[in-house]
Amino acid sequence: MQQPIQIEDEIQFLDAKRVKIERNQSEELTVELPDGSTHAPVEPVRAFPLTHLTQYISLLDADQNEIGMIEDIKQLKKADRKVLEEELRKCYFMPKITKVHSLEGRFGVTHWEVDTSRGAAYFDLRSRFDIVSLEGGRVLIKDVDGNRYEIPNYHRLDANSVALLETQI
Amino acid sequence: MNSMGRGFSRRDVRRMAHSSGKRNSAKRLEEEMTILEQVPPDLQSRLKDVLSQQEEIKVAISTDLQFDGTYGKDWVLVTEKRLIAFNRNGAPTPEVQNIPLEDVESIEIRELHGNNIMKVRTQAGAVEVARYSKRFAPKFAEATPEIESLIDKVKPEALDESKRHRKYVASGKKIRCETCGSPIPRRSDVCPNCVEKGKLIFRLLKYALPFWRVSAPAVLIMMVVRLVDLYPAVLSKQLIDDIFVPATQAITNGQQPEPGAFGQLVLIVLLMVGVNVFTMVASAIRGYMMAWVGQNITLKLRNDAYQHLSVLSLDFYEQRDTGNLMSRITQDVGRLRDFISEGLQNIIGDSMALIYMCIIMFAINWQLALWALIPIPLLIFFTIFFGQKMHKVFHVLWKHYAGISTILASTIPGVRVVKAFTREKYEVGRFRNLTDLIFEGEMNAAKLWTVYHPIMRFIIFFGMIMIWLVGGRQILNDQLTIGGLTLFTNFMMRFFMPVQTLCRMNERFLRAATSAERVFEILDTPPSVADSKDAIDLPDIRGAVEFRDVVFSYDSEKNALNGINFTVKPGEMIGLVGHSGAGKSTLINLITRFYDPQHGEVFIDGHDTRDVKVSTLRKQIGVVLQDPFLFEGTVADNIGYGKPDATRKEIIAAAKAANAHDFIVKFPDGYDTKVGERGSRVSGGERQRISIARAILKNPRILILDEATSSVDTETESRIQEALGRLIQGRTVFAIAHRLSTLKHSNRLIILEEGKVDEIGTHEELIAKGGTYAGLCEKQMELSKIRAL
Repeated sequence: MQQPIQIEDEIQFLDAKRVKIERNQSEELTVELPDGSTHAPVEPVRAFPLTHLTQYISLLDADQNEIGMIEDIKQLKKADRKVLEEELRKCYFMPKITKVHSLEGRFGVTHWEVDTSRGAAYFDLRSRFDIVSLEGGRVLIKDVDGNRYEIPNYHRLDANSVALLETQI
Repeated sequence: MNSMGRGFSRRDVRRMAHSSGKRNSAKRLEEEMTILEQVPPDLQSRLKDVLSQQEEIKVAISTDLQFDGTYGKDWVLVTEKRLIAFNRNGAPTPEVQNIPLEDVESIEIRELHGNNIMKVRTQAGAVEVARYSKRFAPKFAEATPEIESLIDKVKPEALDESKRHRKYVASGKKIRCETCGSPIPRRSDVCPNCVEKGKLIFRLLKYALPFWRVSAPAVLIMMVVRLVDLYPAVLSKQLIDDIFVPATQAITNGQQPEPGAFGQLVLIVLLMVGVNVFTMVASAIRGYMMAWVGQNITLKLRNDAYQHLSVLSLDFYEQRDTGNLMSRITQDVGRLRDFISEGLQNIIGDSMALIYMCIIMFAINWQLALWALIPIPLLIFFTIFFGQKMHKVFHVLWKHYAGISTILASTIPGVRVVKAFTREKYEVGRFRNLTDLIFEGEMNAAKLWTVYHPIMRFIIFFGMIMIWLVGGRQILNDQLTIGGLTLFTNFMMRFFMPVQTLCRMNERFLRAATSAERVFEILDTPPSVADSKDAIDLPDIRGAVEFRDVVFSYDSEKNALNGINFTVKPGEMIGLVGHSGAGKSTLINLITRFYDPQHGEVFIDGHDTRDVKVSTLRKQIGVVLQDPFLFEGTVADNIGYGKPDATRKEIIAAAKAANAHDFIVKFPDGYDTKVGERGSRVSGGERQRISIARAILKNPRILILDEATSSVDTETESRIQEALGRLIQGRTVFAIAHRLSTLKHSNRLIILEEGKVDEIGTHEELIAKGGTYAGLCEKQMELSKIRAL
């Protein structure tokens, strides 16, 4: 009798030690796979962009086909890891809000002035639905233009910021 | 290092925000949103070294991000000769990239998460020149074709056509206001900043104008009622001052009260009763009058809106979702009625009441009147304060209730999945968590309610105390009568309601104005496909169709049809083949004139479709769609939809021709069966045949079959095919199908690709040609082999 498939067999992570990730002179990612094939430009995509930032990284080639998956960035060689992390930082821009200076709302639209891990910023939201609160005080915000911001745990912000935030979440 | 050097400091941002205020953040955006921004002086001086003389900056765009991933302003400048990028990379002075336009092979925009990167590709490789957040994406999208056209001037035809960027056009959904640039709240498409409240309300009142004979007296009655309403308080003042006080004084002095006193007492009490009866009757009459006016306005507005909606072209519907349009005709119109018949009247009435009270109080004793007004600011403050708190609490509650609905709406229909995966406990847990939150929220609301009223009462009590104290002292100093004091305390109790109404006045006006705008938008939109003034009736046609160099685009971004030419003889059946998005449905939309082409002409029997009346054209065209729409009503009603005067006999004949008769008579109610909304009680194949019967009965010269057999099983399909075979005889037919076998009756096939006619000819010709169609046929043959296995 045939055995049911083992789902673990369905996914083949790349052997991280035998992958080579570099940046070419066009500032694109080139990836050499263990089978010797090279691909460029390669776009790294997080499978869990909100929960597992350094794990399960899918590598897509120019036609958006997956050439392989990396289970954990930590498995990569140091130099490769640095290049991949750098590219991921470029591809995913989601500043962390560290302080809310002011938050003014009119008719559902709110204007925010904040400090973030990437500097001071301001943005507008069109409704409260653009704010998602997750477990552990984590808050994700998407502004009018499609930019995203994160608060890892809003309870840890200063009292003034918390008070302002709590009017919205 | 320059102040501009590090982009926005926090102070900058705050200064800009504060100096401008919210309303003007739009202005700030405007300055940054042009593609020829003001270049700061420090960069200009550096430019001198780079640019040759007479070189002119054509494009100057700033970013809001730097390459190190922090917020900051970098620049991309383009002249007619070169592209210059200033990037700071955390260094004090920006690094300059100088790329001659003649080296540029292409401009690329990388769309990433939360930011974009602009790259310039040259022979030597690609370089990143700008990184910016999504806020600036429209600006860069607008600048890119501009830069490309500058490159064209340096070396014509060099850029790869396929990599070229199209002119930027904002998507149909309004996110930011077109006039002021500030964001538009979700669930509304009206910018609250730009709503011209006054104008809209005035326009709304025009709808009330025809009923002025009723509404004007109603307003008058109300103003009188509000005044008369205060009379009992004045009467009780008289009662005390003119009767009770002299009487008690007389009694304490051992004398009899005046003999007429009792008569006066009865008179005043009767007056009080009379006043009350009067206000009651007058209010009832006024209420009825205003209800009449309100309902008349609703009637007119609702019918006008729906009538105009039916005139509007398809593009209007496509840009808006059904729920939105529905709520305009149901809710918004209702809200406007409430505003005219109640809201506005209450505002007028309550302001009048306040004014009357003030006049009376000041007339009696102006010093005490001033004291009496002290609690009003407090009332206003707490009403607004609690209003905001309440809003917050209720929003949270509302979100939780919505969560409960979501759980119920997914687990009740999905109960088989829940049980099959034994997740009952998990679902119950989720539900319980939410009900716990609701409990908490409701208790928070209760807390507010229970605090709110006592506080309001306390403020009023505080006002009373003040009146007792100040007024009492005046009584002792003989500056006030006891009746005067009771009148003041009485009025104090009456302040509360009008103050509350007036606090919410602005909100009410705005809500009404928004609703008015939404309704008036329907009324103000002209139909994009309208009969021209000298449109003629289309005579009975034979069914010849010609497309002459037709270009059509839904959004001016991409052409859906790009120069279509073909001629179809009467009675010919044409199969339309192509990938989704190739333009098949668009082509059909132009035949039925749901849209007009931007360029070129569509002829039917030699008549330009734009020169004939739309209704006479559509009367001669029949449509069978993939997912046919049946309306609420009986099967017979639906078959006769296109021919309201059809006899029963004709309906049965049409059903027979459509292979629908047999299953219809098996329904317990036969042709009288109600199909329910969207035909839910009738299966897909049955609906399809009913819709074919509908088309047969209409007997059109031109017939359109849009994927008419794609959603049914094989056996039903053969029956539908048979019915279609009968339907298409002697008519010009355009058939869209993905399964090529369904096009076997076609005389000719048109293969569309990216809005162009790729191939045209008979099945045999196209197979012999060995092009796109032959390829498609081969693929489908393989697929059907797999199915056969």
